[in-house]
Formats: sequence, C-alpha cells, structure tokens
Amino acid sequence: MASNLDEEIEDLRARVTTLKKQLRVHASTLITAPSTRQLLSSAPQPDKPTTTLTLPTHSNQTRSQTEAQAHQKNLLADALAQQQAHAQQCLYRTCATLTTFRARDPDPRAVDGGAILGLRIEVVSRARFLRPYYVLLNRPFPSSRHHLRVHRHTLPPCIPMAGLAVRYLAPPPTPTPSGSGGEQRRVEEKKKQRSRQDLAKFARALRREVVRYHHRLGVVADLRNAAGIGRAGYGDQEEEEGEKGDSEGRPSNRLVDISPADAEAKHLSIEWADGRTGRLVMGDDGEIVKLVVLGENGRDYEAARGLLGGAVRIEDVVKRLAALR
Amino acid sequence: MARISVPTTARLPSSLRVDPTNPAATKILSRLSRSSLISVALDWLDEINLPQASPYLRQDEDEDEDEDEVDDFYPPARSLEELRDIYTSLQARKGSKREVLERITEGDWRHGLTLYQLAMADLQYLYDHPTSQKWSAYRIMPLKPPRDPDGEEPPEIDRQSLTIPRFHPSTFLKTLQSQVLPDVKAHYNFDAHKSLPLLILRIFILDSPYNTNHAMQQSTTSTTAFDSSRTVYIAFPDASPHVFISKPQTTTTVNNPGSNSNPRTGDGRRGGGEGVGVGVGVGGEARSLRNLLVEGIPKALSRPLRRQRFALQSTSLVTRNLAELVHRRGGGRANSAGAGWSVYYRTDDDDSRKTRETPLDLVLPSPPLSEQETQSPAVAGTGGGKRSAPLPVVASAEERREERAAKRARLVARARFAGTAVMGDGKGVERVDVVIEDPFPEVGEQHQDEDGLDKENTVERVEATGRKGRRRKKSRVDEASRGAAEDEDGDVRSEERGEEGAQGWRPYVRLTFHGSHVFAGIRQLVESGIIDGERMPGWMTGEEGVTIGAVRNGRIRGHKGSGV
Repeated sequence: MASNLDEEIEDLRARVTTLKKQLRVHASTLITAPSTRQLLSSAPQPDKPTTTLTLPTHSNQTRSQTEAQAHQKNLLADALAQQQAHAQQCLYRTCATLTTFRARDPDPRAVDGGAILGLRIEVVSRARFLRPYYVLLNRPFPSSRHHLRVHRHTLPPCIPMAGLAVRYLAPPPTPTPSGSGGEQRRVEEKKKQRSRQDLAKFARALRREVVRYHHRLGVVADLRNAAGIGRAGYGDQEEEEGEKGDSEGRPSNRLVDISPADAEAKHLSIEWADGRTGRLVMGDDGEIVKLVVLGENGRDYEAARGLLGGAVRIEDVVKRLAALR
Repeated sequence: MARISVPTTARLPSSLRVDPTNPAATKILSRLSRSSLISVALDWLDEINLPQASPYLRQDEDEDEDEDEVDDFYPPARSLEELRDIYTSLQARKGSKREVLERITEGDWRHGLTLYQLAMADLQYLYDHPTSQKWSAYRIMPLKPPRDPDGEEPPEIDRQSLTIPRFHPSTFLKTLQSQVLPDVKAHYNFDAHKSLPLLILRIFILDSPYNTNHAMQQSTTSTTAFDSSRTVYIAFPDASPHVFISKPQTTTTVNNPGSNSNPRTGDGRRGGGEGVGVGVGVGGEARSLRNLLVEGIPKALSRPLRRQRFALQSTSLVTRNLAELVHRRGGGRANSAGAGWSVYYRTDDDDSRKTRETPLDLVLPSPPLSEQETQSPAVAGTGGGKRSAPLPVVASAEERREERAAKRARLVARARFAGTAVMGDGKGVERVDVVIEDPFPEVGEQHQDEDGLDKENTVERVEATGRKGRRRKKSRVDEASRGAAEDEDGDVRSEERGEEGAQGWRPYVRLTFHGSHVFAGIRQLVESGIIDGERMPGWMTGEEGVTIGAVRNGRIRGHKGSGV
C-alpha cells in the first residue's frame, strides 16, 4: 500500500518535471515565434492570446486591471529581451565556438572583488556539441590591472594549459632589485617582452589543442569502427565467433583492439588476433609519426606496411581499413 | 628451483613460493573476510592466473601415498574442477573464516603460496578496505634546474612545458627495477582497479639479495624482512600526469605484529633516537625505502634518450580516499575547478543544467539555484509529509523568518559548494591542515575588516563525523593571550616581518579539520547556519583541492591547488 503510494508520488513528480520542461520549451518557442514578437512589439492589446498567461487578478477593478496589464506587458517584454539575448548568445557560441562571459567568484576574499572573465570553448565531436570547456581568469596583480591569470579551469590534464598560460599569459614583471650592467638590463628587457599578455592568442592556442585532442579521440573511434572493433563486450563475442567459424575472413591478421595508450591520445596501442601488438604514434594533427609492430620474432615490418600501406595521415588508415573490410 | 642462489638485481619472480606458515603470508590472508578469501581462491584457480597459482593436486601415479594421506584433514583434490567446485560450495554455505583459511594454507596450497597469490590477496584487501592506505598525490613535471623553491615563479618557457608525461607500465617497471638498489628485492604486481580508472602497482620489498627461495627462508627467521609496512602501492590514474603513492602505516602497530615482535631492526638502524616506539623505527626504515622508490619513480618515467626527464612535485593532497584523488587529480575536468566551480563541469545532478550546455538549445536557462528552490520543499516533504503540510498555515513571523534564513543558508551552501561535498558522495578527505599567515587585525580598524578576519583568527576544530557528534570549538585569540603567544612565535614573526615590513603582528594559527568527510561537514555547518556561508573564505570550501596549505590574504597561497 505504502509502496504503491510512493510509486504514485514518484510518477506524479516525474510528470511534473516533464511538464515543467515542456512548459519551458513551449514558452520559449512561443515567445521566439515571429508572430508573437510582432504582437509584442506593436503595442499589444489586452485581449490578445497572450492573456492566457495572465496572473489571476481582481476582475472588476479597472485601475488595478490596467496596472496588471502594464505589469504583464513588462514581464513579457523582459522575457522577450532575455530570450533574444539568449538566442544571440547561442548563435555566437555556435558559430564562434570561443566566447567569453563574466562571472563572480563567491569567495569573499577573492582578488579584484571577485571579478572573473570566463572563456568558453565549444567542442563539436561526432556532430554533437559536447559540454564546453571553461577557463576562468582573474586579475590578481595589484601592480598592473590588465594582467590576467588563470584562476580555475575545467580542462583535462592532457591539455597543456599551464604551458600555454605561461607562454601567452605571463605575469607582470616583478620589480627586481636594482642592479647595474648590460646583462641586468637585457634580462629586464626579456622579462618585459615575456610579460606582454595576449589573451586572444592564448584562447586560440588553447582551443586548437582542445580541438586537436578531440579530433584524435574521434579518429581512434573511427579506426575502431573501420576495423570492426565495435563496443566493449561485443568485440569479445565476435572474437570467439571468429575463432570458431568465421575463418574464411582474415582470422589471423584481424585487429582486435585499438585504444589510446596515453593521456593525449597520441599513442595508439593496436592488437591483432594472433597476439601481435603494435604502437602507432601520431603527431598533433593526426600525421603518422611512427608505427611499430611486434610479432613473435621481434619486429614485424610486413604487418606495419600492411596496416599503413603508404598512409601519411591517420585518416588514410581509417579509409584503408574501411575499404579492406 | 635453482640449486645455487646468486645475488642479482633482477626482480622477484611472481611464481616464487612462500611457506604458508610464514607469518606475513598468514597475516595477509587472515586480514581478508571469508567471502573475499573464497573469491580470491577462485581467482587463483582461474585459467589466467593458474600458471602462477597452481594448487596442490593429487597425482594419479602415487597411489601408494594414499595410505599416508588417509589422516590428512584436507585431502588434495584430484582435479582443478573438483577444487573449483569445493570453493564454490564453500561460497554457497555459511561457515567460519578459519575453515577457509586453513583449507588454503594447510590443504590446497600447502606447498606454498606464490608471491603473485599474496599480491592478489593484498589487493583484494585494498579493494575491500579502500581507506586502508594513505595516499599522497604527486604531479609529474618536466625536470627543471631548481629555480625557486616556492614555486611561485613560473617555469621557463620552452617546448618542454607543453609535453604531457606518458606512462608505459612495462617500460616503467624495467627502469624502476634498475633504480632500486641491488640488495633490496622487490616483487611487482600491476592490477587495474576494479571501480576506478586507476592502474595500481603493488611493490613488495624484501630485504634480501637473493631472488630465489633463499629470500623467503631468511625471512622466516627475521620477520621484519617480510612486513606489511614494506608494501608500497603506486597508483597511476588513467590519462593524468599524476601518481599516487601510498604512505607506510607507521602508527598502526596493531595490525602490524611483525614490527612489535622485532624491536632489534628498528632501534639498531636508528639508534633509538626517536624514543617514540618500535613502530616508528621500523616505519622510518620503511619510509627510507619508500623515499628510495619515490626518487626512482620520476627517473623510471623519464626517457633520457628523448631528452625527457621528469620530476615529481607534491600537490599537497594527502588522503585515504582514492575516489577523491581520482576526482581531484585524475583525467577529468575537476582538477582545478573544485567546490562551487564544479557547476562548470558537472553533468550528473539535474537535467536543467545539462540542457543549458549545448548552444543549440534555445530554451531559456533558468538560473541554477531557482530550480533547486522550488524543489527543496518537495524534498523536505519526503521526509516528514505530515509536518510540512500544516506549516504554512500556522507559521508565525518568527518561524517564517527562521524558515527563510534556513533556506537562504541552504542556497548559500549550494552556491559555495555546488554539488560537491555531499555527505554520501564517497569523496571525502579526512584531514585538512591550514596555516594562517595573515596579520592580526588592528584593534582600531574598521568594524567590517575585523569581522572578516575574525573567522580566520579563530581556532576551529570541526568534527564532521556524520550528523551527530559534531563539535566545534571556537577560541578566539584575544588580547590577553597575545603576550604569551608573541613569545612563543617570536621566530615566525620576525621572519615574516623581514618579508612584509611592519605589517603587524602575525599569530601562528594553525587549523586542523578532522573528520570522515571534512568539507561535507563544513557544508553542513553552513547549511545549518553555524558558519556564515557568504563570509566564509574560499579555502574552506575545498575548492583548491589541497589538504595542506598556507593561507595568506584569505587565500591559499601559491599555485599548487589551481593547477597553473
């Protein structure tokens, strides 16, 4: 009985959330529709369809009614403005893929009053927008207000963010104790040169690294697909089948596993069904740097040639594997 | 077995057998619960592990020996299948742990347990008791000539700063082996963690120059050579340039009978200078071995031929909780966006946030906290439906204010901690040490400033052991105790004066937070309104991801936490 009631409550709650979501979707669809916008921009009359959204008001008091109408009008205008702003932001995020925003550090002792400049890096992988990466910058240097520093970020450790930050967002020069001589001055000069920050370059370089990383991951997935390695679990089953019956294919030189072997997904470890293992090293942009295949008797150059077939880029290998299959 | 034992630098082979009566072996096994013991035994009998864990089976030809074994309490099984069936049936029925343990040591593995088996059993214990080891996290950094001990100055710009260290288990092991001294033998065992993206390397150190049975025989006479404090675990998180190294258990002499029974080694080496106890002596020795290993790790990771040399840098995170380590130093996005910043990567709390992330979704996002606000009464309703229903009717002004304050406290806690630091999330640190280096606020200063610093100059000890049993002691460093404290901390003060000039008096204030989940405890205090969440400094939310830190100007000093 009690469990029944609980289930019912759960169901109702789930329905409430879905309805709420639907309501939000409909509201934003309605408000972005051109006709609605037209209605709103050209002085809207009280008994338009928009009044269905009205709040309950006292009916027969004309003064309060007009007030309420004005209030509603304001609300609608606000909603419209918000929606438009959001649409614009989405457009920028979609097309520019590198956007900034302002945030506030909740820490009461944060530097610079908690002002935060956020970088948002969009990543598209397999025709989908992934969760963006964020870099949050602050200005901790009291001596120079224009120097930024990376405060927080959500980049995985395989992106060399720290190195890029040192390169493009160098801290302002610290006033060194005065010394004399050309050496000292040259060092100062160098330091000054170093301390010039370039947020745009930083953001571009960072985005480049992120996109490269995701492309490499994507290419690994493509390779797996092309080699017919499928998802985990499925592969094992296929392997067993292959050993038993499917011998008219290529049972011995079939690939059984391709997986990234390091954090940056630049090294791929490759396994064949007959126990040979290989390691493919690719460059930043997917060019093949090296491939080593080890068989039972040391290096297996033939298998390496067989896999690459003169390919220069990893995508060529994908095509090759797909064609061979 | 080889007749002659020659001292070599090779590692101990996995197939090396240890006498099952060896105290270390029995200790490792008896730590396990009955069910884990059986599952480990079944694992040993698995096809993959069998070559290195073969049980004692009856041979068909020696029929005549049967008479001798009539009174054998655990007659050897005829086949592996039979043995597997025996253990599966043991698994099904109830019984004592003793029964299984004796069956293993006196029956099926009477001829000895291999080091591999012991490693498996030990790792099983680690999985059963995930908090049994204390881990410290290190970052693998490109090796640079030392420039600045504080690490405040940024490293030199070159291509090296963009390389991410790479890790290859077998190469690593080979190089690590060559780093370890030849008079120490170690057994290495890699295992992938069952639930976390970790590769665990168990290093079992033996104080013997031999890598044959001689090493074992020596160890039966002096048990310290075979001590659990000589087991070092190194965990490599997937796709992350960090390593986690376990600390030897120096204080827990309770589950360490070897160290108790043998005071000779500890005192002999260290001359009893510590005078603290035997456990410390042995622990100290083990620590030096560990230091040797820790020094060896970056060298083993380095590849001099490629001109890539690495060093380990401490990241000030020490905890027993591997999940927390993986969360804060793993391959994900959470490494330098802790506490409140986690809104920027969290996926798992509510779907309103998930939809917000893709730019193709034109639905206007609701502010992150408004959704929670509407849900919280519903959540409260699940607990006490009867109470929450009549509440709005009889609520007086006082109650309503309280209600509002509580709600506000909850919201503030949510803003500061976001989805992290929740009691049951399994990602808690047990101890946080913070040293405050801020100057004492002037008495004549404005009221606001003093209030702001007041919190930091109080000594707080928060016990976050669940709902109850929480204790909070707040002792203000007041005018009266100034004189005394000044005398004690004279050195510190003068040292820092030289740095900062006449900035005022700096008391030596050190805070230790201790509990099962420190930051969840602080969050609970914020939620219940004991700590003012809006004025709470950021390091109390755990957003830096460190457990040891120095606070200056209300912030954790240096760059160690934020990853840059």
